[in-house]
Amino acid sequence: MTEPSRLERRYRSLLALYPKAFRREHEQEMLSVLMATASEGQNRPRLAESADLVRSALLMRVRQARVPVAWEYSHARLMLPVRIVTGVWLVFLTAVLYGYGRGGWWGVLLVPAATLHFYIAYRLIRPPDRVAGPPRR
Amino acid sequence: MQEATFLILTALAGGSQHGYGIISDVEQISKRRVKLRAGTLYTALDRLREEKLIAVDREEVVDSRLRRYYRLTPTGEERLAEEAARLHANARVAMFRLDPSEGMAST
Repeated sequence: MTEPSRLERRYRSLLALYPKAFRREHEQEMLSVLMATASEGQNRPRLAESADLVRSALLMRVRQARVPVAWEYSHARLMLPVRIVTGVWLVFLTAVLYGYGRGGWWGVLLVPAATLHFYIAYRLIRPPDRVAGPPRR
Repeated sequence: MQEATFLILTALAGGSQHGYGIISDVEQISKRRVKLRAGTLYTALDRLREEKLIAVDREEVVDSRLRRYYRLTPTGEERLAEEAARLHANARVAMFRLDPSEGMAST
């Protein structure tokens, strides 16, 4: 095997979905397995195989996602009023600008900015929906 | 323990193997019923390694391809033995109840 075949390049792009640490650890051996199980003349990954790779890549991403540490939580809680006030202020600004008929382009900027502030404020104080780390079972 | 995990550990109980070796061994052990795919296999291997049930034995490069051999750790052997005993006990009861005259005698 001199240069990567089309099949190998396609497998590589699927493997790119895995978290970096996992890829550093397993990409080469996975590629060996994938190439070894490929049949003669096959030049694209089989559908079931691709689905399996995508599924397990997502699983690995969830598994390796880091849960925020304590100070990050307390900081997020502290910042909550600031974020809400900023969001409200942006909404107010937008309303004023539109009220004076000067909205136009500002709306495009301010409405998403306000939404983002509210979203981040909510997102950061929400308790983690998964616990990474220790194995189940 | 999931069946795939059980079969992977069983494959390694016979000695260290690399990814492709495990896939074909598991297929053979399960009489062609379980065909592991690369994604599933490596998420399982990664987890088993984290749980210290398996470890990397050695690495080889064949035809410019990396082969990493995995082996069972003592903890892995223990866990596999426990699980096998549990399945065996369950199977014995099932067989005995299905055929009281046969079950206990033949297994």
